[in-house]
Amino acid sequence: MDKPQLIEHLNASVNYTVYDTKWIPLSAKFVVLGSKANSHGIMDIYELNEDQLVKVKTVEKKVAFKCGTFGASSLRNRHIAIGDFEGRLQVLDMERPDLPVYNVKAHTAIINTIDAIGGNQLDCGAPEIVTGSRDGAVKVWDIRQGQSPVVDISPPPQMGDGINQSSGRRDCWAVAFGNTFNSEERMVAAGYDNGDLKLFDLRTLSVRWEASMKNGICGLEFDRRDIPMNKLAVTTLEGGLLVYDMRHQHPTKGFSYVEERNAGRSVGTNGVISGPKATVWVARHLPQNRDVFLTGGGTGSIRLWQYEYPDKRVVVDADGTKTGVAGTLHMISAATLSSQPVHCFDWHPDKLGLAVCGAFDQSVRVLISTKLNVL
Amino acid sequence: MEKRKTLLEKYNMPLSHLDFSYVETCKNAREMEKIVQILRSGEEGYFPDLQRCSEEKLKELKPNSKLFRYEEPIQNSDILDKQELKPILDWTHDIKSKDNALNELKNDVECLGLDLAPMRKPAKIDADLSSTKPSKPVKAPPEPPKTTEKRIRSTDYNKWDKYDPDEEILRMELAEERTKEQEEQKNRPDPTPISEEVLKSERNELQERLQEQLKKLSQVEREQFAEKRRLRGNEYFKSKEYESAIEEYNCAIIYDPENAARAYNNRAVSHMKVKNYLAAISDCKACLEMEPDNLKARLRLADASYAQGCRRESLHLYQRVLDLQPDNAAALNALELLKNQLGELAPSHATRLMIEELKPDAPAKPKDNSKKMTAPVAKTVPVAKTVPVAKPPPLKEYDLAELVKPNRVVKSKLITAAEALGNKFNAPTASAPKTQTQPLISEASSSLPAMLRMPQTNTKRNNKLLIEEI
Repeated sequence: MDKPQLIEHLNASVNYTVYDTKWIPLSAKFVVLGSKANSHGIMDIYELNEDQLVKVKTVEKKVAFKCGTFGASSLRNRHIAIGDFEGRLQVLDMERPDLPVYNVKAHTAIINTIDAIGGNQLDCGAPEIVTGSRDGAVKVWDIRQGQSPVVDISPPPQMGDGINQSSGRRDCWAVAFGNTFNSEERMVAAGYDNGDLKLFDLRTLSVRWEASMKNGICGLEFDRRDIPMNKLAVTTLEGGLLVYDMRHQHPTKGFSYVEERNAGRSVGTNGVISGPKATVWVARHLPQNRDVFLTGGGTGSIRLWQYEYPDKRVVVDADGTKTGVAGTLHMISAATLSSQPVHCFDWHPDKLGLAVCGAFDQSVRVLISTKLNVL
Repeated sequence: MEKRKTLLEKYNMPLSHLDFSYVETCKNAREMEKIVQILRSGEEGYFPDLQRCSEEKLKELKPNSKLFRYEEPIQNSDILDKQELKPILDWTHDIKSKDNALNELKNDVECLGLDLAPMRKPAKIDADLSSTKPSKPVKAPPEPPKTTEKRIRSTDYNKWDKYDPDEEILRMELAEERTKEQEEQKNRPDPTPISEEVLKSERNELQERLQEQLKKLSQVEREQFAEKRRLRGNEYFKSKEYESAIEEYNCAIIYDPENAARAYNNRAVSHMKVKNYLAAISDCKACLEMEPDNLKARLRLADASYAQGCRRESLHLYQRVLDLQPDNAAALNALELLKNQLGELAPSHATRLMIEELKPDAPAKPKDNSKKMTAPVAKTVPVAKTVPVAKPPPLKEYDLAELVKPNRVVKSKLITAAEALGNKFNAPTASAPKTQTQPLISEASSSLPAMLRMPQTNTKRNNKLLIEEI
């Protein structure tokens, strides 16, 4: 077989709900964030020791953890930024987790999603963390700033906000940084429960572009955060997967995209993917090859996709405006992992093919995918 | 109650299409997909052989059809060989040492925090404001330019007599053109000419800053950053953006100059893609300095110098590739080609060459003649051309005019030959001069395929050149 194959290397069962898994950069360790039955937050650190998984450390806090990232910390300190169920953002030193390095009440409701940038890049602007929450706000944080965000992207206050806060507000489900190729440029993409996709330009402090999907957006990721925008993968409820070509924006049509409606479809008879639609929870690009990414689905499946660029990425109309041309998507490989949704996934930044993922069946798996280098 | 439509009805497919003979002859991938779907659904019955047959046919017509997306339960790592698993097990050891190195650095007082980019000023973006609203209010369509003259009344016959419709039309056209031009000017992106100097100074500044930052980094970090850059370059290379790829490789080399062999090697390929062979050659040499036994670098160096025009050098370089891997197909092919072009190489102790011209034979049929003759002449002619370059010592008997001469004569021969072939087409006469000029042009550019073609024209004259060693 000459195509990549997804293989389960190790797995660990846990006694809590897993919400996020992340590799610690330049190490064989990963962090599992979750919520215990008594809704306490828990952070486990596991280490890969040849062919076994060793739990190195457990940290428990009062509030359940939802999401975490290492993107804003340098290789030297490797602090993790965590968003929790009560809207608190904290940055922890994993050696001394009791006292957070940074701690702020960021949102009034659960932080659904987090992304960060700038810790690991040279000459690419300040390290910043972006959070998206159920209260509808997207906020950008710099831990040097103190208790307020550096950029606050919230919907305007509405009638009845005082008592019943979640009334008409959108719920932000996904955020992603991108376009950070020098010290000024930076973009944030945010996806909402009603299918709105917004692209905020942090340099000009404006909404650069918006679009609407048919279904709520669960996952967003730029293929690379620290290059001029190239592609943006969007996953939605009901099995939608879209990849936008972000190179050229048409003044009226916006960005062009390729859509895969059945990306979340479950397995029908004899292994053919033809069953009912299911949510695509997450899309993660391979750190070693930006045109390959993996999606985790509501049916407990993981699927590996490859994006192929078109011959010409831009066409020029008669009146001189440029329109981007989207490429095509090929499914390279697919595997059923669990009976529950696979909702978090992380490729190891330094080792090709090594990944960790969490599913709602209370287990964490270390995966290997073979032959990724031939793509 | 209404019955649910079967797939057969839905696709409006005649039942007779579910047949071996139809499937064999079907050319339409879309239709084949439908047939496979019907067969898979089992609504019309279960025909495993037919299904397999039509699936195979579909694979032939449309190999990446969505119907071939299968999903299997995930397999355990037991199915992998020890060999395949070993790199990962070893990796856990390697990474641990790096991890520890980083942990030690953590206590290093001199932190990167000092030269972090400045914090941005707190700001707000209103999420509900749409992107287009504030900046570009929708303009009403431009009003037609007000005409100075008044509309002519229908009853004003005097004026109507003076009215010239052609002139009016011309005027309207001119106005239209003007608005179009204005529109274009508006749309045109304002050119911001950045002078070379500004770019250069900016780049230098960036370099300095980078160097500054690099000084503070540890070896582990530098390696890490360099590797990231190199991979980034590979990505650009894959998507055929060679300029950006070269930029990334540049960074990788700056970040970690000691282990930059691979970055040099990759940059060499990118340079070759943008046809900058000199840069490619120097990159390959840089790579070989660090890794003298790098096969790819050797091969690339040979390719690059071949493309640059240093054929004789590239011959030796290809031989050096073969020293490393005697059965390297690319090198063998290239050598074959080179030997054809350069002919049997004179041994290094050879001193002088003499070229003697034989009398042309009676013109035979041009076609098979050329076939016969290409081989010997191909050897001789280029040698005559390249040898003087390689060996400066004077060749007294050598007359360059002899070389040029054949081309002049061929012209007439070709035309006569073409005419002899029959005046069926007028084309031959037309094409004859074309083929004639080609070698001359290519000779000037010394491109390689042309070298192969040139002898053909010579053969038509049966001009045989011999080399003799004195």
